[in-house]
Amino acid sequence: MLKNLLLAAAAIALIGGCARKEKKAEATPKDEKAAAAASSATPAEPAKPASKVVRPPKDPYPSTYKPYPSTPTLITGATILTGAGERINNGSILIEGGKIRAVGAANSVTAPQGATRINAAGKWVTPGIIDIHTHLGVYPSPSTDSTSDGNEATAPVTSQVWAEHSVWPQDPGFTRALAGGITSMQVLPGSANLVGGRSVILKNVPGRTVQEMKFPGAPYGLKMACGENPKRVYGEKGGPATRMANMAGYRQAWIDAAAYKKKWEDYWKDAEKFYGEDKPADDGKKAKAKAKPKDDPKKDEKAPEAPDRNLKLETLAGALSGEITVNMHCYRADEMAFVLDMAKEFGYKVAAFHHGVEAYKIADILAQNGVCGALWADWWGFKLEAYDAVRENIALVDAQPNGCAVVHSDSAIGIQRLNQEAAKAMADGNRMGLKIPEERAIKWLTLNPAKSMRIDKDTGTLEVGKMADVVVWSANPFSVYALADKVYIDGALLYDRADPKRSPRTDFEIGQQTNGFTGGSGQ
Amino acid sequence: MICARTIFAAAVLALTAAAATAQPVLIRNARVHTMSAAGVIENGDVLLNDGVVVQVGVEVAPPAGATVIEAAGKVVTPGIFAAYSTLGLEELSLDGEANDASTRDNFPLSASLDATDAFNNTSSLIAINRAGGVTRALTTPEPGSKIFGGRAAVVDLSGRIASVTLAGAAQNAVLGYQGATRTGDSRLGAFAVIREYFDEAKAYAANPRDYKSRARDNDMTFADLEALIPVVEGRQPILLAADSAVDLRGIIRLKTDYNINVIVLGGTEAWRVAGELAATNIPVIMDPAANLPGSFEDLGSTLANAARLQKAGVRIAFFNPDGGTTHNLRLLTQQAGNAVAHGLPYEAALAAITINPAAIYGLSGRLGSLEPGKAGDVVIWDGDPLEVTTRAVAVFIDGRAMSMQNRQTRMRERYKNLERGDLPFAYRGQD
Repeated sequence: MLKNLLLAAAAIALIGGCARKEKKAEATPKDEKAAAAASSATPAEPAKPASKVVRPPKDPYPSTYKPYPSTPTLITGATILTGAGERINNGSILIEGGKIRAVGAANSVTAPQGATRINAAGKWVTPGIIDIHTHLGVYPSPSTDSTSDGNEATAPVTSQVWAEHSVWPQDPGFTRALAGGITSMQVLPGSANLVGGRSVILKNVPGRTVQEMKFPGAPYGLKMACGENPKRVYGEKGGPATRMANMAGYRQAWIDAAAYKKKWEDYWKDAEKFYGEDKPADDGKKAKAKAKPKDDPKKDEKAPEAPDRNLKLETLAGALSGEITVNMHCYRADEMAFVLDMAKEFGYKVAAFHHGVEAYKIADILAQNGVCGALWADWWGFKLEAYDAVRENIALVDAQPNGCAVVHSDSAIGIQRLNQEAAKAMADGNRMGLKIPEERAIKWLTLNPAKSMRIDKDTGTLEVGKMADVVVWSANPFSVYALADKVYIDGALLYDRADPKRSPRTDFEIGQQTNGFTGGSGQ
Repeated sequence: MICARTIFAAAVLALTAAAATAQPVLIRNARVHTMSAAGVIENGDVLLNDGVVVQVGVEVAPPAGATVIEAAGKVVTPGIFAAYSTLGLEELSLDGEANDASTRDNFPLSASLDATDAFNNTSSLIAINRAGGVTRALTTPEPGSKIFGGRAAVVDLSGRIASVTLAGAAQNAVLGYQGATRTGDSRLGAFAVIREYFDEAKAYAANPRDYKSRARDNDMTFADLEALIPVVEGRQPILLAADSAVDLRGIIRLKTDYNINVIVLGGTEAWRVAGELAATNIPVIMDPAANLPGSFEDLGSTLANAARLQKAGVRIAFFNPDGGTTHNLRLLTQQAGNAVAHGLPYEAALAAITINPAAIYGLSGRLGSLEPGKAGDVVIWDGDPLEVTTRAVAVFIDGRAMSMQNRQTRMRERYKNLERGDLPFAYRGQD
């Protein structure tokens, strides 16, 4: 069908990766958190003196997300899958202050006075579902020329573009995903390009602005694509026309990025020395002490000049330094293996291969490299690089020691029932003897994507202190009949299947001919 | 040489198909969804012989020489019937050579294209979907630059050469925005063009020789008009793709004006005109998971569509436009399960992927339910067939047990153990 082809073509344009944080990178998320904190606080500026060293802003469009009000809530009597690998039969979970306060056997968790108590006997509770790969907002509903903002298919390397600048917060798809238990997601640019641009990680909380949806402190991702899509898009527009040119294109981009990165690092080194800031600026005492001799820099010494900013290379340099996770759309086993070597060549890390229809062929290599496979349960066949599918792909990637399987959607329909995708993958894995219990399979939708997206300190499991991103299911979520009854994000009840007033409705849909609004995914 | 081998293999297959119908099969002690007046039979037995269902009931005695399959704890249904696909016409969607489902550019012929001319009984999709319980499918050409795609056929998924159950099962055409893009980018054009085709086909049918000698001002080919004659004479149904309530009302008028046999494909807003569709006996092949306003013709898209249509008395069947109309026909059961989760009665959901498609294409006397005399298309499931964790464990087509192996199971066997062996992977898991 034509519509399907268009969908498939759109699918081509997507995907990112799951990267593990490198030691080098650790400074960055901290910086971002600090920036986010500063931006959400009132004008109170940090006490440290303004640096004279030029540093491009890392977070110029900071999150303005604030959790909505929540009441202390005790959910009791449910089967709880924590996302951390445990299953608690007849368990209880206490949400307070937007965080998870306690999880355990029903009789071991007590609620403060006045807490809302929810009897969840017969129901199941999981962490909020996380989709590592969506184009909600950048390819929203309705799909029109006006809203088609996911692929900057004008040049093969467009690392300068940021998906957040395309996201339409009024996409009705967000509301349907919420009814499917989705609490966080990574919105990626499409896969038309070798390097498609930056992703953005959102909380699935409706906002007037994208900033109101941005996951506080989450790193950016970079979207890259292997194989057929860039060839198809650029084959007659100057290339790449071949897979070898795809590789050449990435490598040249990394070479340029490495040079750019070095230019800035050299500048920072020189400038810090020149301005006497070559000790950590947040260490007040030392900075002061050190600052003295340079208060009066030698007049004949010229101040180091900051390099010109280049948005394209800035993002790539961020990926090289580990600040930005690398999400690689790649289907074929042989191409993934080359990408892993290329990552070593340039000293970066691939966070996840997205789609990876052939991941099972190199599941051992993926695991050895600590790379996740963000995969479908059974989509296949829309093109030759997606021909060699097996229904056990996810389970086989998961089965490797240190294997990391993630169930992703890449679809505004699929994102609404990622639990069913995991169920199918689990069932097929079990049939071949892999013995995957629900408490393990749920990680494919929660902890594993959270790790790959580097938001696992905040969400992805039902562990004390984490954001209370929680789904109460009507039944075992590994069943086609299970529906999300209640979805909490940071403790706020943002979806209740029984109460249409607790279902979001986007501006686009409101006031259209009455269509018997039923709430949530039913709309 | 390769050619010769192919022909040889085909000959062997044909022989197997011809010879394999003899042995009776008795499936015992299953939960049997007959999809007939007999309803659900607990601890039920199904006897197959000579390609057909011979008996359905309890404690059926095995005839001499019968293969007996103990199916306690299992569920038996008729084979899944995919109401819409491009099976055998499309191996890979985005590969020109491996996709015959539609013509490109301004290819002049449309309605006269016939699925049976290119149906590939060796397509890998057949065994893959069959392992998911699918035994019959409508396969259809899809519209290229004109609103008509061509003549669809009902096929079985046995893989044999003689797989065509019914040629010319339906004509396929698009209205709605898909039609509009082929007719001056306006729905006005789509309705005007289809009426003109119908009028011309009737004129042609009335007196072909005279018609051919007349001066004409359109680009309709005689072949296409001839192909539309059974449609305008009401002998062949026509699939009309449309979603909005407005377009669906236009289709109801078309049906009334021309007295044709119409099937709606899509119908995301069909629930808005459910009463009229039921009254005019128009079935709807729909996606029960469609719930997004993907365009302005889908604003009323809702997961309640299937249940509302069924309640109003509209005959519904399912198709799977998300994730591969054809590659994943095996997910029709999941779609049906989701329809149940959103209010469709269970038996109605099962009907939408078994007896209803058979009825839509005039084949309910032969297919779609487990009744004596009907084709031996039977699936044994290891649980609730609409549940995502359930799989088919045995599939019969025309009474013959089908192989459950396919390209995907072979690939899994080849790579399930990644330890280096004495020979490369290319030596593992061969046929």
